Amino acid sequence: MTGIRDWGLGIRTLLLVAAVSICSAVSLSAQRGRGTGAAPAGPKNPFQGQPEAIQQGRETFNARCTVCHGFDGSAGEIGPALGLEGRRFALQSASEIFGAIKNGIPTTGMPPTPDLSDDDAWRVTAYIQALRGTAIDAPTAGNVALGEAIFWGKAECGTCHMIRGKGGIIGPELSSIADTRKTASIVDALTNSGYRVQGDGGAIPRKLEVPNNYQVVRVTLPDGKVIRGVVKNENSVSLQVLGVDDSRLHLLDRAKLKDVVYEKTSLMPRDYKSRLTAQEFQDLVAFLTRQSRREARAVEK
Amino acid sequence: MKVLTSPARFSAAVCALVLIILGARLPAQVTDQELLKPDPSDWVGYSGTYNSHRHSLLKQITTDNVRNLQAKWVFQLVGQQHVQAVPIVADGVMYVAQFNRVDAIDARTGSLIWQYQREPVSTGAQRGTAIHGNKVFVTTTDSKLVALDARTGNLVWEVAAAGDRYRFAGQAPLVAKGKIIVGGNQPFGFLQAYDVETGKHLWTWNAVPTSSTDPGAETWAGDSWKLGGAPMWVSGSFDPELNTIFYGTGQPGSQWAGDVREGDNLFTDCVVALDVDSGKMKWYFQFTPHDVRDWDALEMPVLVDAPFRGQPRKLLVQANRNGYYYVLDRTNGRFLHGTPFVSQLSWSSGLSPEGRPILTPGTEPSVLGARTCPSTMGATNWPSPAYSPDTGYFYVIAQEGCSINFRVSDRPGETGGGYIRSPKEGEEWRFYLRALDATTGKKVWEYQHIGSLRYGPGVLSTAGGLVFAGEHRGLFTAVDARTGKPVWHFNTGALITSAPVSYSVNGQQFVAIVSGATVMAFALPDSSAR
Repeated sequence: MTGIRDWGLGIRTLLLVAAVSICSAVSLSAQRGRGTGAAPAGPKNPFQGQPEAIQQGRETFNARCTVCHGFDGSAGEIGPALGLEGRRFALQSASEIFGAIKNGIPTTGMPPTPDLSDDDAWRVTAYIQALRGTAIDAPTAGNVALGEAIFWGKAECGTCHMIRGKGGIIGPELSSIADTRKTASIVDALTNSGYRVQGDGGAIPRKLEVPNNYQVVRVTLPDGKVIRGVVKNENSVSLQVLGVDDSRLHLLDRAKLKDVVYEKTSLMPRDYKSRLTAQEFQDLVAFLTRQSRREARAVEK
Repeated sequence: MKVLTSPARFSAAVCALVLIILGARLPAQVTDQELLKPDPSDWVGYSGTYNSHRHSLLKQITTDNVRNLQAKWVFQLVGQQHVQAVPIVADGVMYVAQFNRVDAIDARTGSLIWQYQREPVSTGAQRGTAIHGNKVFVTTTDSKLVALDARTGNLVWEVAAAGDRYRFAGQAPLVAKGKIIVGGNQPFGFLQAYDVETGKHLWTWNAVPTSSTDPGAETWAGDSWKLGGAPMWVSGSFDPELNTIFYGTGQPGSQWAGDVREGDNLFTDCVVALDVDSGKMKWYFQFTPHDVRDWDALEMPVLVDAPFRGQPRKLLVQANRNGYYYVLDRTNGRFLHGTPFVSQLSWSSGLSPEGRPILTPGTEPSVLGARTCPSTMGATNWPSPAYSPDTGYFYVIAQEGCSINFRVSDRPGETGGGYIRSPKEGEEWRFYLRALDATTGKKVWEYQHIGSLRYGPGVLSTAGGLVFAGEHRGLFTAVDARTGKPVWHFNTGALITSAPVSYSVNGQQFVAIVSGATVMAFALPDSSAR
């Protein structure tokens, strides 16, 4: 991921991204003197990815750690921010984070917390891991099976989206959405009408990228026929449009079209908070925040 | 000593005579004279000619026949990527440089003639080579300047950058009056001149003060000149009559936080006029005093001789990253005229009679983000514009749109920052090829590069009434120079980050461009070419 994707997260995200993607000096200076080698292996966190434990860890963190690290680990006056996207973290593995919480970090201001039980320290660790990770690192609690039924049924997500070979082709494929987006971003896409997939802070791309803005367009052919679809690519000469109604790819010559109208709103509905009950919404998010190919990838290796 | 007999003496004289006659047409003999007025068949430097018009006098390819233009050959620069180098061509041989590398190619066929590659292979941005006599020149990643024999690629001489702190950047060298002009960004912006024959260092010009008594130091609060900056990584122009070279300079150090360097911060974001023999500065003009938006002034200064308000003038024109088009008197640097060449310009409400921008408060980068138009990426950027004396138009890739500019912290001394695209509707980035009236800056026509999100290639104008411009995502297009109407296109299939050139071999005109790591050459079909 090269930078900001989720505009709907607001100015705070902007700030973080600006700070992170462009000024790595901040994170580097915050880590002066720390080793940056590969994280040593250690015991696995028994609570990793467990929503309830993560929530408990968050409460503990916000009760005890914010003086230095900021609320939700976002910005520290004394200690570094802990969840900043794109940052290189000195302590990465669960056991390193756990060790720092329990024993402090000598020669720095990070104190030990001997009164915290091991389980609570692991829960805070799970929370910090979730902060840094994507949705799969902190999947939302809920009935996943019901969420899946809602995805294909009442919410009609499958009309446009595909998961593991099943579903529509107009929208983005979602089989690994939990590996690439944070939970807040997924919720935002379902609810925020101002949600936009945004640019990249001006970085110079190093290869020809596949466009992925899902711009909706209405083109009028020479015979007056109108095609409404999603722009897969375009330049000053040609358009490649995936038809909404026929799910066919239309290869169009711009000079021959009578009219090209770009629609201002995305095809993605944003009314799921009202279309679904609160419980259904929760279950749908529980399903989406578990759409991961991470384990599959590990197996493929 | 053996004395030649009379017939032998005669044949030696004939041989010598033949050699002298042949010598005039020996491949790759590029004299000072040719550099002053290059054969239109050649493209002898980064900008083609010293005035940086990027205007080819060739006119075999015209608005009438350009629809027949076809790919003639491609050459893969194996091991390279997103090449920014502009090829040069002399006597039918094309030279493409990278750091540590030059490929010499038969410009008719794309066949490799020789290749110079010194360790290590580098894919860093290096923008080309230059030629003089039988030598081509290239900079290396270990900051050496290298002269190669243009016929063989053999090393003729190499020198280290004079002064141990100086590091060459990837600008294409400029050969002017027997000197190679190169520059860099480290430890701050600088230019240096070396003798073409020997590589001997002749002079160094520093773009920022190096002590409190240097010129310009008074424009940096306290000793903030130590922040440096003013990187110089793009080639410049040369006026032989004025004996002057013209170069743009980059942004000040601490590019987002201005409070650590109050003042105008000379000679950042300037065009500077230097005496080519001594390296002494004759004048400067600063486009963006006290820049806090990373708007360097490395856009090519183009030298135009044209009537200005009824008077024939020696002009220097530049479309600057800050959104204004400038017309200067290049004999003295005086500001004559300036006007926005983009419609979205928010940071300044206009220019003073001296050409100084009148600032709009509240557009400086802030912790919460400040909307600024044009974006930090600039209303234009380093890819070169072109100027056609036939139309009197200045052709430039322009970006409409805005950015949100940040500082990481407003605590004094914290200098980090950055920018993102503006998310607001109507402020998204859009790219255009624009024709401006060169002396007024008024827009004559524009052609939108739909789907393009970045600066890609520079622009080429030809006497055939065409402008060649591509877009970043690979589409290479020719438009009618008078109307902007598209007349030919070719999808190169890779990102284009170089600029097109035109040359001719055996009477056949070619247009060439590097796309990705591939050199592509186009010409008319052989039957209609002659």
